[in-house]
Amino acid sequence: MIALSHISKAFGRNQVLQDISLNVNRGEVVVILGPSGSGKTTLLRCVNYLEKPGSGQIAVGDFQVDCSRARRGDVLQLRRKTAMVFQQYNLFRHKTALENVMEALLVVKKLPAAEARKRSIALLEKVGLGAKLDEYPSRLSGGQQQRVGIARALALEPEVILFDEPTSALDPELVGEVLEVIRAIAREGITMIVVTHEMGFARDVANRVVFMDGGVIVEEGTPDEVFQHPKEERTKQFLRRITPEANYSI
Amino acid sequence: MGAPFDIGYVFSFLPKLLDTLGVTLLIVAGSLLTGIVAGFLVALPRMYKIPVLRTLSGVYLSFFRGTPILIQLFLFYYGLPEILKLVGLDLTRAPVMFFVILTYGLHTGAYAAEMIRASVEAVDRGQVEAAYAAGMTPYQAFSRIILPQALGIAVPVFSNLVIALLKDTSLAFTLGVMEMTGKAQTLGTLTQHFIETYIALAFIYLIISFTLEKMLLAAERRLTRHENREDKRESIFRLKKRGSYRTVLADINIGKGGGA
Amino acid sequence: MQLDPSFIWTAFWQLLGAIPTTLSITAVSVLAGFVIGAATAMLRMYRVPVLAQIASAYVTFIRGTPMLTHLLIIYFGLPMIIDGLAEHFGWSFRSVSIPMIGFAYISFSITAGAYMSEVVRAGILAVDRGQVEAAQSVGMTTFQSLRRIVFPQALAAALPNLANSVIGMLHGSTLAFAVSVVDINAKAQIVASTNWKFFEAYLAAALIFWGLTVLIERVAALIEKRVGAYNRGGVV
Repeated sequence: MIALSHISKAFGRNQVLQDISLNVNRGEVVVILGPSGSGKTTLLRCVNYLEKPGSGQIAVGDFQVDCSRARRGDVLQLRRKTAMVFQQYNLFRHKTALENVMEALLVVKKLPAAEARKRSIALLEKVGLGAKLDEYPSRLSGGQQQRVGIARALALEPEVILFDEPTSALDPELVGEVLEVIRAIAREGITMIVVTHEMGFARDVANRVVFMDGGVIVEEGTPDEVFQHPKEERTKQFLRRITPEANYSI
Repeated sequence: MGAPFDIGYVFSFLPKLLDTLGVTLLIVAGSLLTGIVAGFLVALPRMYKIPVLRTLSGVYLSFFRGTPILIQLFLFYYGLPEILKLVGLDLTRAPVMFFVILTYGLHTGAYAAEMIRASVEAVDRGQVEAAYAAGMTPYQAFSRIILPQALGIAVPVFSNLVIALLKDTSLAFTLGVMEMTGKAQTLGTLTQHFIETYIALAFIYLIISFTLEKMLLAAERRLTRHENREDKRESIFRLKKRGSYRTVLADINIGKGGGA
Repeated sequence: MQLDPSFIWTAFWQLLGAIPTTLSITAVSVLAGFVIGAATAMLRMYRVPVLAQIASAYVTFIRGTPMLTHLLIIYFGLPMIIDGLAEHFGWSFRSVSIPMIGFAYISFSITAGAYMSEVVRAGILAVDRGQVEAAQSVGMTTFQSLRRIVFPQALAAALPNLANSVIGMLHGSTLAFAVSVVDINAKAQIVASTNWKFFEAYLAAALIFWGLTVLIERVAALIEKRVGAYNRGGVV
């Protein structure tokens, strides 16, 4: 399980995260909602140490880091237990789909090439890209690229996969195929933290929904609690603004 | 002003000039090597924003890009021995070739430094993040993700740099090095067929430039085979479209604008 | 030979007199080069038959050969052609009456033209097609849209390259020594050899060139700031 305790982060004088604590149980899917600038992406990036938190502790499984005195080795450890799916996919441009998935297995996990290859092919088949193994990212659609990104994250067998607005950069007609893949791996019981604007997806995949605003967690609960019976005024306002048009997902 | 034009001389001069091609290429190769090493040394403090060294790098770049190569050649040839004499080093017996390669090398280093910095910075930030997110060390991320992509970006700039260097070597004769241009001058004086020797000379430079460019283009193709080719051809020199290497190049703008 | 710091200053003053020569060669080659370059670029971009191919060959030849060879070929070739023609048609003009600096002007303009054509081309291609379409959609003629929309944006995009070319030609003007024109470089050689103080003289020359280059860069940056004001803010 993942435990974030008292995470704070400031960019200059701008306090982006204020003393945030959040626990995620094994196999749980947590969706983080919030207006832009609420700090949700920053929080996610802190878990992977792509942003360095100012203070607080991050625990993933039995591994714990104190952010105020994290060493290089700790950061590497933490990153090896987590994986990230990016908004802009960030596939390695000079590597094929297969090589993208294999890369970390070879370099980070030090698997023999044949073994890495076998696993990677299986993962790409799982996300429906068995026919695109040798294509470079520049020749894949956004949806296909993002599915490679998901396979790449899965390959690390992380304790948690972090999704940073995985469908925001996609054309509307490609959103479905990516959400379908995320849904399928959620059913397998992989722990996930997802930042998204897809309300429909949040409603039927999330075990828990966290609403953030102004760098703090405003309210959290089951999708039913947050969407149907929000307690806080800020949550209600946000939902009123976002629900009507954001419901185009499958 | 010399004997009447006779095309036959152009052909008979070609092999004679080619005899000294080795000297020209030696200067190019030696300076390129020196230049790349110097380029890295100058680029690193600027990329990692190391105080003091960064300022020194800036002065280096400004000087070598701010003065003509011809002046630099004389300056180093006459000045270096005098300066080193002050610290007790005697360079008066060093071969001219040493000064020539050193000067061209340092000159090229300024352009190489900008090439290195711009290419590394042109690699999308998300690439590094993805590498880190996958648990790679900074070294792994650099050598496996950034460097291969930066190389592809750098090749066209490198190509310009090599060809500019080749053309610049035509000034080495001013220090008495018998490379192709020096040889051409000698042949001209000897036969009074100046125009023919210079046509032959230009022709050889043209062929070498052309060959180098084609070779480096092939290298670029190979290094950027992951990029969408159709996409790329369309966007030559387009400034704002994201994602194409050519785009980046037009933005880099560090080549030499004309000149020797 | 003993290092003589005070002579750097002496040489510096003597070299100042040669600055106008250097600047006039630079200015002529840049201006004439820009005209030649713009024409060449247009021929190539509008794919004018035959002329476009000739333009391409010209650019390839110039960019593939040293500037010094251009100067030498013009210096030795042009008089041959002129005198040949003059004899044939019975003109009284002879190549001897061309001043030395004339060869530098002609040759360097031809060199600059090829580099400028690439600068102009890149500048125009940098303007988004949508800009022309938008101009036409509000009823502008082709000429109006070129003059009012395309050129200003192209100029802003081309400025850094343009500044580079000016600097390139400034530095290239040192080659004029080959046709006995006394520019800063040639003057430095004279000052150096008459006083037997080479290092000091060339150091002074280097400082002058360095100063001129920095000046050009500053001016270009200033113009860029004004012309490119619309472009400020994070363009990805």
